[in-house]
Amino acid sequence: MTYSVQFEDLWPSIRVSLLSEQKYGALVNNFADWDCVSARLEQLNAKDFVSEAISHWELEAQSGHSAAPSPAYSPNLRCFTFARGDVSRFPPSRLGSLGVMDYYLMDAASLLPVLALGLHPGDTVLDLCAAPGGKTLALLQTLCCGNLAANDLSTSRTGRLQKVLQSYVPQDIREKNQVRVTSWDGRKWGELEGDTYDRVLVDVPCTTDRHSLYEEENNIFQRSRKKERQMLPMLQVQLLAAGLLATRPGGHVVYSTCSLSHLQNEYVVQGTIELLANQYSIRVQVEDLSHFRKLFMDTFCFFQSCQVGELVLPNLMANFGPMYFCKLHRLT
Amino acid sequence: VLNLHRQIPLTWVCLAKLMPHLGEQKRTAVSLFRKLTTTSNGEGLEELPLIGSKKHVQELKCRADLVHCLPEKQRLSVDGGPLTLEKVVCSLLHMGFSDAHINELLSIQPHASPQQLLDVISEFILLGVNPEPVYVALKKSPQLLKMPVGQIKKRSSYLRKLGLGEGKLKRVLHSCPEIFTMRQRDIDDVIQVLKEKCLFTMQQVTEILHRCPNVLQGNPSELEYKFQYAYFRMGIKHVDIVRTEFLKYSLTKIKQRHIYLERLGRYQTPDKKGQTQIANPLLKDILRVPEAEFLAKTACSSAEEFVVFKKLLAREEEEEPESSTSTEEEEEEEGEEEELC
Repeated sequence: MTYSVQFEDLWPSIRVSLLSEQKYGALVNNFADWDCVSARLEQLNAKDFVSEAISHWELEAQSGHSAAPSPAYSPNLRCFTFARGDVSRFPPSRLGSLGVMDYYLMDAASLLPVLALGLHPGDTVLDLCAAPGGKTLALLQTLCCGNLAANDLSTSRTGRLQKVLQSYVPQDIREKNQVRVTSWDGRKWGELEGDTYDRVLVDVPCTTDRHSLYEEENNIFQRSRKKERQMLPMLQVQLLAAGLLATRPGGHVVYSTCSLSHLQNEYVVQGTIELLANQYSIRVQVEDLSHFRKLFMDTFCFFQSCQVGELVLPNLMANFGPMYFCKLHRLT
Repeated sequence: VLNLHRQIPLTWVCLAKLMPHLGEQKRTAVSLFRKLTTTSNGEGLEELPLIGSKKHVQELKCRADLVHCLPEKQRLSVDGGPLTLEKVVCSLLHMGFSDAHINELLSIQPHASPQQLLDVISEFILLGVNPEPVYVALKKSPQLLKMPVGQIKKRSSYLRKLGLGEGKLKRVLHSCPEIFTMRQRDIDDVIQVLKEKCLFTMQQVTEILHRCPNVLQGNPSELEYKFQYAYFRMGIKHVDIVRTEFLKYSLTKIKQRHIYLERLGRYQTPDKKGQTQIANPLLKDILRVPEAEFLAKTACSSAEEFVVFKKLLAREEEEEPESSTSTEEEEEEEGEEEELC
């Protein structure tokens, strides 16, 4: 696998990061004793990167340095990370006094698509490729889900997703949020629940580059799996199209992958927009996330040359990602 | 017949040795030695001015006075008396030692006989080591002076057989003076690893001992591991291992720099045919250059990233040490999508 053409001089430092231990964030469970959990995480010398980013922005705004309004982001998300260059690890999550786990360890970059989706209280939300559940959990943590539909094609993976929800979210909340878990084919959602959702997350299956690079030859990049690899963008287009069709006009979709490849990222977004225009006469607009990116650039290393969307690059100083995400607005 | 010019340094060297025992009345003598310090590590020792021959008569008179002034006890306390000391000093001068060095050497082991000192030093000189390096080695490792001469002779003869005579011994003596004090068996173990496990030729073994004397200090199985790392993991041939003095670098440093380059995509282990898809950097640009240059020119990476990498690597090593053989055979594995997706 080589992205040296796509990334040129950036590739070696991305590569060494992909092959080295990745960095985690601790997503605080708002259904646990969250301020206690936060205090404990702070004692470890970690910081909530979301609140840090917001305070930094507000400071800039006050001092007149930044004229732009604060970009939209989903509320109530608290995720702790260690500082740049700090390779400390979080202790494993524990069961708290309220009977649920205190935090969820995940790649902090995975939180960005959920933040970017910009949930509002009471939104109906669809997570089209939900397993194993990190982002689904994050959606619930925003406390904005009037309804949450979580789906994944694989039944074994939805099993894992259920376990995550059970360990982190109390039963009454799960019922109140009308959390529905299904194992259907995501590509069919346009027909199943067209024009329904306020917010849709389409976190597609991809080549999971970080893990593919470890076992150099035995993975999706090997020749015998070439067809599978070539089919992937097509599958991704179909899933994104379904997600858009399931969004109500005026609603928003975030498309995300953990791949570096623009064939799975920008090309899929652009291809799907075209598809929807041509086949369905539906207009979809890409939303500019550059202010959103600036909000978080102290924590993450972003690629500066995406045609559409944003891409978090792994770097030894901040070994998160890869994470590509793009926000779409369904106009019609 | 000693030439008069030579007499003069002899004089003040002797006097220097005897100085601590003399009292205030010898201030004239003292003034001749104004810059003299004789700390055992030689700190602050500066070159003493050579005394011109005009003062010679004055010196001799002074010296005679001093000898007379010595309490009986002290006149005899130096083994064999001042005369033997003179002989030794004289011989050392002939060998080419400077006055300052001689003075220091004499004070390293004040209780050892000057004869012992001379015998030990002579062996080193005979092995082709120059005075300056001998001095440095003895200062660094004073225990060498305590060794029985017989042992030194025996070891010298062995080292000559290994091909480490004729001046090749200098570096070894400096960084690894234990080559004289260590057990024969321990040297044999190292040589055995190099010859029989690593399959170096005897000539290569000599060259390695000469250029990387530290191999004698480590343990033989670590040495073998280091060789295997070079040969299998990095694909370096015997000739190049010797030529680049690979074995003198610490395994930590080797792994840090090599694995960093490998993960950056800048170093590939050659395949069975010895080929790589990219041109690997020269070994000297990997190991010999200082870190700043390594980062700027070879790795083309930043210092802060390397710092983090070293921490991560140390942790990896602690948790799952790398095997010394070549990277694992490609395996068929179902790619499971990870929790964190």
